[in-house]
Amino acid sequence: MKPDVPVVMRGLFGTMLMEIAPNLTAEYSAGSVGIMSMMIFMTADEYDRAADIRAAENAEMRALFGEAVELIGDAALKARLAEAAKGRDASLRISALDKENAALATLLIELQAHAEESSGPHAAGLEARIWDYLVTAAERRKLTFPSLG
Amino acid sequence: MEDLAPRIAAYLAHRMPAASHVEVSGVSRIPGGASRETYRLTATWKEGGEQKRRPLILRRDPVASLIETERDVEFNAYRAFHPTGLPVPEPLFLETDLKWLDRPFFVMEQIENCQAGSPFNAAPYGPLAEKIGAQFWTHLGRIAAADPAKTGFSSNMEAIAPQDCWKRELDKWEKVIDEDELMPQPVARAAIRWLRRNPPPPQPRVTAVHGDYRTGNFLFDGEGEIRAILDWEMCHLGDPLEDVAWAADPLWAFQQTERPGGMIARDEAFRLWEEASGMKIDPVRLRWWEIFNSLKGLAIWISSGKEYQSGASSDPILAFPSWYCTDVHNRVLAHRLAALSREARA
Repeated sequence: MKPDVPVVMRGLFGTMLMEIAPNLTAEYSAGSVGIMSMMIFMTADEYDRAADIRAAENAEMRALFGEAVELIGDAALKARLAEAAKGRDASLRISALDKENAALATLLIELQAHAEESSGPHAAGLEARIWDYLVTAAERRKLTFPSLG
Repeated sequence: MEDLAPRIAAYLAHRMPAASHVEVSGVSRIPGGASRETYRLTATWKEGGEQKRRPLILRRDPVASLIETERDVEFNAYRAFHPTGLPVPEPLFLETDLKWLDRPFFVMEQIENCQAGSPFNAAPYGPLAEKIGAQFWTHLGRIAAADPAKTGFSSNMEAIAPQDCWKRELDKWEKVIDEDELMPQPVARAAIRWLRRNPPPPQPRVTAVHGDYRTGNFLFDGEGEIRAILDWEMCHLGDPLEDVAWAADPLWAFQQTERPGGMIARDEAFRLWEEASGMKIDPVRLRWWEIFNSLKGLAIWISSGKEYQSGASSDPILAFPSWYCTDVHNRVLAHRLAALSREARA
């Protein structure tokens, strides 16, 4: 689609905030339009990066599980980690990536809880490795708030 | 939009038997207090041969909301603190009979010629920040210092022992996440485990907790006087440091950790709170409540996202925090918990 979606989204943001909202007489409606315009602004970035973020997270969680397989004693968890580590994203649709992301994140929660309870020689390293991933993932998903100054 | 004016006028006439010719005008839904629909209006009537006029606020239960709260608890908080001199609007009528406005509501005094600062603004109070900040933290200290039984704040609340406060709040908000999460939440789950492994040291006593005391939830006038502390819908009995930590949460005013909420310096803020409350801030307990509050924030934003996604409401005020505020609190918690994990393993 041309003009590019992010360009259109940012244009809509400006129009809604600067032209439409000030001309609404109903106070609550004006506030709602302001909120909607900010969400459209955020969607401009998200449209471009959403698949990339999810594909990167899924690949990183699988890599982490591949490393953890060697460190975990629990046979059942070990088997599920090994299986998940072999997976791949069959589709780049956001809905498909989200579904896979949710399954991987659920396993990550279990792995992290397991690492926290463990005092084995690799537990500290594994816990640190998981936190590195979670911090990186949270920063990667950071949303830009529009500058209203 | 439904015409509420004649229905509100009929209700006010019912509640004010000495009044005649009751009329309501200027009914306008206003932003703020996202757990209930909030309307500004003006009532006029005749009483004792005189024409009377009073600007009012009406807060009605919503079809769906950011958080589910009991309106009688909120109303009672206004009733408890208004006579103490704390800047709180006068509560007037609480109504649970659905025949008047289809849903329960309450009516209170409208504080005119004031504004609320935006929590999503780096400088929400501009040149008034110092003056407002000093009042903000002193008022919070006064809330903590007030005896919940003497003020009547606790009259419709279940009693709780000091050592149980943290667990009750954590259980409550974990349940919200359990019920409402739309996707797995690794950071929230890690926070819950940390909070349970590291309970806070005992608090000296149980106090009134506002529950949402922050930038944006009070009104100030052009001179920088705080005129109304609002949005008591999450108030409860608990640890006063819960309010301190929420007021200083990094979400407000874009993570100005050294100038919480875009007001005054953190050290001065805490000094004023200690002075007004007569209590000391235990840093270990405060840390627990800081982490708890970021988790509580996540629970609220997750819950509001569920309301929107389920179709219970199409109000964007429910969708926006589920995007933006979830993002901020996830990052805040991830960094904080990662550091605590490193410390614990060192």
